[in-house]
Amino acid sequence: MPYRLAEQLEWNLGDPDDPGTLFSHARSLALDEREEFPAALCAVLDQFGLYEFYIPTAHGGRLADYEQLVQLVRTVARRDLTVAIAHGKTYLGAVCVWVDGSAEQRRRLGAAIASRLPVCLALTESAHGSDLLAGDVVAEPAADEAAGHLVSGEKWLINNATRGSLLSVLCRTDPAGGPRGHSVLLVDKRDLPAGTYRHLDKVRTHGIRGADISGIAFDRAPVPAGAVVGEVGHGLETVLKSLQLTRTMCAALSLGAADHALALGLDFAAQRRLYGRSLIDLPQARRTLAESAADVLAGEALALVAARTVQTAPAELSVVAAVTKYLVPTRTEAVITALTGLLGARAFLKDVHAGGRFQKVDRDHRIVGLFDGNTLVNLNSLISQFSTLVRAHRRGTGDVAGAAAAFRLTAPLPPVALERLSLLARHGSGVPAALPGCLALLRDAAARNPAVEPALRAAERLPAVMDEVHAEMAGLLDARTEVPPAAFETARRFTLCFAAVACVGLWTHSHLDAEAGATGPLWRDALWLRAALARLLTALGLPDAADPEALDGVLDAARALHAERRLVSLLPLALRPATPVQDGPDRPGVRAHAHAAGGAS
Amino acid sequence: MIDTSTGSTPQPAFDPAPRQPTAESLARWLVQHVAAYTRLSADAIDRTAPLTGYGLDSVAALSLCGDIEDEFDLAVEPTVAWDHPTVEALVAYLLDALGPRPETA
Ligand SMILES: Cc1cc2nc3c(=O)[nH]c(=O)nc-3n(C[C@H](O)[C@H](O)[C@H](O)COP(=O)(O)OP(=O)(O)OC[C@H]3O[C@@H](n4cnc5c(N)ncnc54)[C@H](O)[C@@H]3O)c2cc1C
Repeated sequence: MPYRLAEQLEWNLGDPDDPGTLFSHARSLALDEREEFPAALCAVLDQFGLYEFYIPTAHGGRLADYEQLVQLVRTVARRDLTVAIAHGKTYLGAVCVWVDGSAEQRRRLGAAIASRLPVCLALTESAHGSDLLAGDVVAEPAADEAAGHLVSGEKWLINNATRGSLLSVLCRTDPAGGPRGHSVLLVDKRDLPAGTYRHLDKVRTHGIRGADISGIAFDRAPVPAGAVVGEVGHGLETVLKSLQLTRTMCAALSLGAADHALALGLDFAAQRRLYGRSLIDLPQARRTLAESAADVLAGEALALVAARTVQTAPAELSVVAAVTKYLVPTRTEAVITALTGLLGARAFLKDVHAGGRFQKVDRDHRIVGLFDGNTLVNLNSLISQFSTLVRAHRRGTGDVAGAAAAFRLTAPLPPVALERLSLLARHGSGVPAALPGCLALLRDAAARNPAVEPALRAAERLPAVMDEVHAEMAGLLDARTEVPPAAFETARRFTLCFAAVACVGLWTHSHLDAEAGATGPLWRDALWLRAALARLLTALGLPDAADPEALDGVLDAARALHAERRLVSLLPLALRPATPVQDGPDRPGVRAHAHAAGGAS
Repeated sequence: MIDTSTGSTPQPAFDPAPRQPTAESLARWLVQHVAAYTRLSADAIDRTAPLTGYGLDSVAALSLCGDIEDEFDLAVEPTVAWDHPTVEALVAYLLDALGPRPETA
């Protein structure tokens, strides 16, 4: 199973609560306090070979399964989001080449990453933010055209601009600009003559404080002809397709942060005694924790379906990625806010509770909703797709078989075929189209087991909400220039419906296998599905959607998993090896002394 | 598959394109669409100006491919309006792609 390797990574990194572990919470906190780049921690990940999972197998790496990559990145993010982002930027930087690069570019970039060189993605400019086509960094043909391009201008707010060796840079190649006026150039700093580029200062940030967030200014930097990724003028297309992949991956960052925050909340509520009992026994505290757990599981369900869709229905990723990049970070922010309330002063004090880790998770996670297309940009991307989504809903089109393969966690994933990515899911998404089939399966399950009936009743409300949301979308088809606020609200409602169907799909297609596993209590009687639907339908504003019984059940199951040192997850992920391994050279867990001089990443 | 076409999806009322489109009929059809999407009057659309000049976002312009597919039963790349960025250029492209077609009853 794709998550097994993530479990190994977790064990390999060792017990984060033990200050003797190299990648310990104590070390993460100290680095954050000093705003220091986590070079030694990135080196630990390199030693595990994490960078190999940023390179597709076809180009010499080990990336063949996007669900696996999500689980690996989530594992790192759970420990320290700063490190996940500082290390993961290489994947971000490389993706344009995997999507549209030449065979030679892929080979060379694969070799560069395998030699542990950091890569980054340089889209943003200070004056233009999300407005990619307004970019002023230009690539002009060199005097001798065969010699390539001269790149000039500044990219700013770039993760690893200073430490990275290679950059995928979006440049204007047609002075008139426009959707065919920009190109991605793979710039290798090592080949640039001195004086043709300089780094901009590290920008201090409130979260992921150790990360190298900086910029780079080019001054007629000569870049060889072979550096253009894809065709000249096709940069926007390359970038938008690549962002579908990276936005899907961003869910892993949010899930990791949510895992960490939820674990802190569960610990706190169990330890804190008030009025003669544990906080966890106060109904309001229980409710907050239960809702948080249900939201984390719903986010996980959506993220799993999205990651698998990369391979099961790549042509539909434009919808799935935008839904996921909007919803998972936003709902995770809400979970963190709710848990902030639960922790009370402990979330505000620096060193009193768990070393102030909760506050770090909160600060670090804010970036996930901002970068790689912020919340509104992702909703806007869905608004641009309203007409295809409305048409698809009316006709019931979408790749239902692809969605079913994404829902069935035991189904092997088809090989990655990035050439099938499309700027637009022409016939909508198979996830909403799969709803009638999923409801039929749920009805069968409820006929066999009456305990599933509450989940069925909740799910049966979805077709009407879907019709309503699509009718709202149909009324907004002319909103392509001045997008009214109502369109954003409608897009938000679409994402909630989409997530609800993804949950129904995942449960109906995977419960038989999952019920037998270590997370069986969550799956049996459709427990997590009930809780997730209650949360999503409530967010959609439906009356009487609450399901306190399911929430209580989810909290009990979550606490049991947490007590057994398992992740609160739909998947059976043990945070410690089953049999304690003897201390010795082969013991899991990278000890601090072994890497005191850990190399830079 | 579910059919939810029952009245809940009001569609802008466009003249259907004639079965054997001419440059003029194609242009009128396109102008109608662009005008509806941008909330401008058809007169305000210059057939030789880039569509993005009317504020049609480049990502929103991708969905024009769905309208073309619906109307002419012709699958075109989503980027058709990027590669043929004016009404005039799109007309030339569509005329070519549609070719002389046998009359179907
Ligand atoms: C820590 C960090 C790391 C980063 N790393 C990278 C990196 O590695 N590479 C890179 O290229 N960039 C990177 N960025 C840049 C990041 O992607 C930008 O912040 C982002 O593009 C948005 O730009 P902006 O924040 O300037 O906001 P703006 O785009 O200026 O947005 C301002 C406001 O307008 C709203 N808005 C924008 N577009 C729309 C729309 N279409 N519809 C409605 N509202 C809209 C926004 O929501 C926001 O409220 C990073 C940023 C940070 C903070």
